[in-house]
Amino acid sequence: MKKTLFMALVLSSLLGTTACTDSLVQDPLTSKTQANFLRNETEVEEYVNATYGALQANGLYGLYLPAAAEIPSDNTYDEVPANDDGIYGQLDQFTAIPTNSIATSIWLGSYISIQRANVVLNRIGGVSYASGTTRDARTGEMKFIRALLYFNLVRLYGDVPLVTQETTDPNVYFGQGRTPTAQVYTQVIKDLTEAIPVLPATSSQAGRVRQTAAQTLLAKVYLTQKNYAAALPLLQAVVATGRHALQSNPANVFSLANENNSEIIFAVQFASGLNGNTLGSIMFQQFSPSGTVSGAKGHNLPTKQLYALYGSTDRRRGTYLDVTSAGTPYSKKMAAPTTVITDGGSDFVVLRYADVLLMLAEVQNELTNTTDAATNLNLIRTRAGLAATTATTQADLRTAIDLERRLELVGEGHRWFDLQRSGNAVTIMNAYFQSTGTLVTINSNNLLLPIPQSQVNTDPSILQNPGY
Amino acid sequence: MKQRLRFLHSWPVGLVACGLLLAEPAVAQVGTRPAAQSGARMQGTVLDDKGEPLAGVTALLNEAGATGNPRGVATGVDGLFTFDNLKAGTRYTITVSYVGYESQKVNDFLINAGDNNSLMVRLKTENKALTDVVVIGYGSQSKAKVTGVIAEVKGAELNRYSGSSFGQQLAGKAAGVVVNDASGQPGTDPQIVIRGIGTLTAGRNPLIVVDGFPLSEGSSLNSINPQDIEKLDILKDPSSAAIYGSRAANGVVLITTKKGRSEKPTVALDVYTGFQERADNVKYVDAYQAAQFFTEARDWGYVSANPNTRSATDDRATRLAKGASLRQLRLNYLQPYLDGTPGLTNTNWADELFRKGRMSSYNVAFSGSSAKTNYYVSANYFDQQGLVINNGLKRYSGTLKLDAHLSDKLTLGASLNPSYNRQQYFNNNADFSTDPLSNLYIMYPFFSPRNADGSLAISQEIKANTPEDGALGENAVALATQIKSNRDFFRTFGNAYLSYQLLDGLTFKTLLGGDVTSNFFDFYNPSYLGGYRTVAPKPAVASETRSLNTNYLTENTLSYTKQLGEHSFDLLAGYTYQLENGSTTLLTGSGIADDNVTNVAGASAFTATAARYTWTQVSYLARLQYSYGNRYLFTATTRRDGSSRFGSDQKWGNFPSITGGWILSNEKFFPQNKVVTFAKVRASYGLSGNNQIGNYSSQALVNPANYVFGNTLAAGFAATTTANPNLGWETKTSANFGLNLGLGSKLTVAADYYRSITKDLLLNVPVPQQSGFTSAIQNIGRVQNSGFELELAGNDIGLGPVRLGFSGNLATNQNEVLALAPGQQQIIAGAVGQFITRVGGPIAQYYGYQLDGVYKTQAELDNSPRLAGTLLGDYKVRDLNGDGVIDNNDKQTFGTFNPKFTYGFSSNFTYKSFELSFALVGIKGRKIYDQQLANQEESGEGFGVPNTYYFENRYHPVNNPNGTLAQPNLGNFSSARRLVRSSNIFFKNADYLRLRDLRLTYNLPTAWASAAHLTAARVYASANNLFTITDFRGFNPDATSTDNVLTNGFSQANYPIARAYLLGFNLTF
Repeated sequence: MKKTLFMALVLSSLLGTTACTDSLVQDPLTSKTQANFLRNETEVEEYVNATYGALQANGLYGLYLPAAAEIPSDNTYDEVPANDDGIYGQLDQFTAIPTNSIATSIWLGSYISIQRANVVLNRIGGVSYASGTTRDARTGEMKFIRALLYFNLVRLYGDVPLVTQETTDPNVYFGQGRTPTAQVYTQVIKDLTEAIPVLPATSSQAGRVRQTAAQTLLAKVYLTQKNYAAALPLLQAVVATGRHALQSNPANVFSLANENNSEIIFAVQFASGLNGNTLGSIMFQQFSPSGTVSGAKGHNLPTKQLYALYGSTDRRRGTYLDVTSAGTPYSKKMAAPTTVITDGGSDFVVLRYADVLLMLAEVQNELTNTTDAATNLNLIRTRAGLAATTATTQADLRTAIDLERRLELVGEGHRWFDLQRSGNAVTIMNAYFQSTGTLVTINSNNLLLPIPQSQVNTDPSILQNPGY
Repeated sequence: MKQRLRFLHSWPVGLVACGLLLAEPAVAQVGTRPAAQSGARMQGTVLDDKGEPLAGVTALLNEAGATGNPRGVATGVDGLFTFDNLKAGTRYTITVSYVGYESQKVNDFLINAGDNNSLMVRLKTENKALTDVVVIGYGSQSKAKVTGVIAEVKGAELNRYSGSSFGQQLAGKAAGVVVNDASGQPGTDPQIVIRGIGTLTAGRNPLIVVDGFPLSEGSSLNSINPQDIEKLDILKDPSSAAIYGSRAANGVVLITTKKGRSEKPTVALDVYTGFQERADNVKYVDAYQAAQFFTEARDWGYVSANPNTRSATDDRATRLAKGASLRQLRLNYLQPYLDGTPGLTNTNWADELFRKGRMSSYNVAFSGSSAKTNYYVSANYFDQQGLVINNGLKRYSGTLKLDAHLSDKLTLGASLNPSYNRQQYFNNNADFSTDPLSNLYIMYPFFSPRNADGSLAISQEIKANTPEDGALGENAVALATQIKSNRDFFRTFGNAYLSYQLLDGLTFKTLLGGDVTSNFFDFYNPSYLGGYRTVAPKPAVASETRSLNTNYLTENTLSYTKQLGEHSFDLLAGYTYQLENGSTTLLTGSGIADDNVTNVAGASAFTATAARYTWTQVSYLARLQYSYGNRYLFTATTRRDGSSRFGSDQKWGNFPSITGGWILSNEKFFPQNKVVTFAKVRASYGLSGNNQIGNYSSQALVNPANYVFGNTLAAGFAATTTANPNLGWETKTSANFGLNLGLGSKLTVAADYYRSITKDLLLNVPVPQQSGFTSAIQNIGRVQNSGFELELAGNDIGLGPVRLGFSGNLATNQNEVLALAPGQQQIIAGAVGQFITRVGGPIAQYYGYQLDGVYKTQAELDNSPRLAGTLLGDYKVRDLNGDGVIDNNDKQTFGTFNPKFTYGFSSNFTYKSFELSFALVGIKGRKIYDQQLANQEESGEGFGVPNTYYFENRYHPVNNPNGTLAQPNLGNFSSARRLVRSSNIFFKNADYLRLRDLRLTYNLPTAWASAAHLTAARVYASANNLFTITDFRGFNPDATSTDNVLTNGFSQANYPIARAYLLGFNLTF
């Protein structure tokens, strides 16, 4: 009997051992892996969606990008500068430290989305699509997103590392350093130039990148480079498509019920009440004046000085922005969420037709075509219920267009870049601080954000911007 | 016989299976055996060396020459034991043993007919070094022969500290074992660090093995009733731990639970109850001081933004006209406080949130043994109220343990440990919206937790502070009492084994173990409570989490013992397979219409999150122990582990070790003397591993990242980690040199020096973010740990009528990073970069500026190098390199959380029927970074309530011109002030000396006990943490609230540990 028992032991062990060793290979049960993903159209489409999805991050269009592109300017300020570890206040008063989480999150968020675009661009050629046009469109969409993010990065940080390939080993980036701005711009222009012909004129789904978005963005890039001749035909082409128009009433531009209207060229999509309230934005809560709604922080509020610039007949007053009973101006471009305050449904508009017309006016003015410039400027003024501009000279028109951009586009993340483009950022901001009795003086070092301290710490080849 | 040997030869291929099942009839058949004949009786008396009867002594009896399980009985209070049913004319062997005494064996005791058989045994106190048996991995060994480093702690010693788990009880009890009682929340596991930290970013939990069954890493220690623990053996060096291979690098804690000993069924009843209170030094200012502080902070915030045009005397309207922000206005309701009006609301929120908590334990254990079986059955109810109101732990647990000797050769046994824990929990996560404790310092003393009618005051502070944007926290008492967060833990672990003696000395053992945990968390945050910055009502939130984890182990070992003259061999070979599955589902409900149903069922919309995992490990192990003439000792072990966690190219790792020892005192040349009675030197060298990196870290995981087109959800997926097919074991190579001495018959000394190098660190390396990732797990770098340990123990020392025992320990540990990633010299971590891990230094050094007081004049400020934005009243930062600029180059290091040395001392005194015991535990050379002190209580940012230390030492040009801490400032709190959060004044000294436990026991006179038919009866009074000597002003100098070793010593948790006063009794009958 004992012998039998022992035999049984030995036998069962011999049978069992192989099975045990095989079990050392365990694949994740509730995650996919990159090794067995991106094999067909459906899976590539999921990666494309995730690339768009990354734009919703707090570091990007969920919260911080508009803040970083407005708060340093004379358009907006932080009502409670010491709040949230002072991250907004530091941008407002030019005391940003390299651990400022707005600066660190924009950097990280941008590269996460860029990497996803890189993965799709690297893989999509090897995957068959039912429609070649769709595949081309996705290529254009990814290039647009990559270009948009690099364009933001160079404007905020100066030189930034340029990566356009899929990461297989993150260690290869050590020692790479920062790529010169000009080289990044070359890539941005290349991506957009390649995207324009493959992008569709219209899209079956609201929120997808269309041809006019790439044209508008490329025009903005050229405008930033003061390459007015190159910007002009792109903007004219956008106008010529006839697919975009100003909403007749400013109240309709940002209305929740009228999202993705004809004035919107590209908007990062948000929606409330979806998937456990994970697809809304917290911008409304964070940018509402302190004490007005639960959790309101008063970050990125329009300044009283800006509010005072709207004439009494300006239809944008009361629709784009308003004042609280305590006299604090606030933006109304984001709709108040109805159920969960952190789950706002308003899209964040990145590019819209009003911007196209104002850029066109600026380009025409710089190319000394003041007549057409005034005409385009007046389209915006008329819609706002204002009389035609009285400016006639190039210099006066430049000032008028600059002011109109402030009034029309406040809160949309343009002003700080506009100031930089004008070359007057330091002068204007120092004058602004003097007028408000604030003891802040800035110099050209303050035009760029600090490189995230974590990146300087991780890789010494990433050098910090001067002044930080 | 011949055939069996053939099987043996074919053994190594794979003796055993991963799922081994035995045919039941085989077991039943061998289990039957004729019962013993009735007959003669013998009675014995056991006395100690002074001639006093000894109660509770175990007497074992066997027929001379028989190898089966002996019969056992215990002596009563009169020192008497009795065996019945003996065979007249037969010779028996009687062994008498008692803890702390040398066992005595009486051979060939001839039994006469009837009851005319009596025996008197006198036991001598033993020198422990010589006789104890310690548990080693997959076996046991006599202490004299041990050549590794194994710390043994008895259950009795542990249970002098009353608490929910052995983890807390272990503090200070063994050299080189640091227990950080990181949170006082009942049910929280302490952090156990054995011989320092060898790893950087992999887990650092030691492996816990209960009666041979290795628990999952990080599994709760609460499910083990400390009163069931017979003893702990802690394997500290790699030669001892190597037998556990890839999981042993952080040390191994072997738990042996109690078993039945006495033939007479014994019932032991243990009950204690008492209360606990805070044992910290935290003291906040009162309402009048707070009013002054907030006003100073808001005034200076206003003025410092533009001293040319602003004045502290400006009224509200003037301030607003001059562009003041909200936090530059005075709080509108403080004037009466500033005027010193008596009788205003002056709430001590700490007194409201904390309480005296009850702690009780009821334990009953039945045990006994017979010729063939022994059993131990216990039940325990443990109830601990937290120091925070509405917080606590209740545990219901049981143990069932059975060993049966079915024949001379076949033994089987089983143990089962079911438990049910219910935690009234709150997430101590520094979230102002739900964590009452993190709200404590933003609860202004101007508000009451309750309205005049006794109801909770809801959202009072939020409403009052909104106009000037003060702290907007919801009533912490309401958060603590109204948010439901119950956590149920059902767990059963246990094992069954069968061991069979194949040949003389050759035993096969197979063990099947299992651990099943099922948890249910129930959370409800009602709508009628506000949250941070949110006035009630707000949407209610409900969630529930269910998880099920199952862990199976099969283990098959073959052991062989042989004595050939002076040569003694012990061989062990084995195979184990372990499989763990886990699944968790989190269901979150929203759209809750009212607070009628306080769980997810009341919700109208739901989201679910699901996660599952599996990991497996396959292992082969072998050990040879050899000794010659009880003088020369040698052990070699090896283990080969394969794990599913590692990359496809690195599945297997080998962990060999060797160790040797020499017992000098057994040599002929060793002079026989009364001073040095025992001497042993030993050395060991070996490898162990660490696999705590999560289950799928070697693969690039693709996880959801959804988007929405228009209002249509678009499912998105993208990679969130990078792949590393080469990911493998972290390997720790360690050498240990040690010495054991026996001095006289009472004292033992053990001294050890060790040095270990951990290479291929499982390091979550920060990578350049342009890769699209922030970090990647890789095997990189090397860390060295070295240290010295000394243990001194004395046993049963007579001081007149007082008998004294003591044990003291001292341990040092130093670690040094030898290498990081190629080309990488340092890793800076922490929210304000306050930790640096650099090559050549220890892990996680505090890193920051050296401050030299406060700027009090503009001239001084203007004429010194300073951080950008420095204001008057801010700190002066030392220009360390003297280059006239303050920047990152002026930062230096300031020590670590890892202490320079740790020490413990415990002692017990016996005088007649009284026994007094105490244990001290100490930490020396530790620094801690307490975020609450750095960011709020001592920062001078006028947002939270400061502690009295800051208030008394703050600088204010008028109110406190000699102050040394930065001036209160809220509305213009500078970037410079944020940057100096990483500086010497916030790297706090956290040394302490703590009276961990103190107990006075009275043993009831034997006459009384006998009259009540009791074997023994005692009552005691005890205290935990009666005093702590420390300079630290935070809640807990042990708190390190992060599992990231790179920020070790970052404390965010603030649940104070408790001082407890208890009364209890033990009855045995």
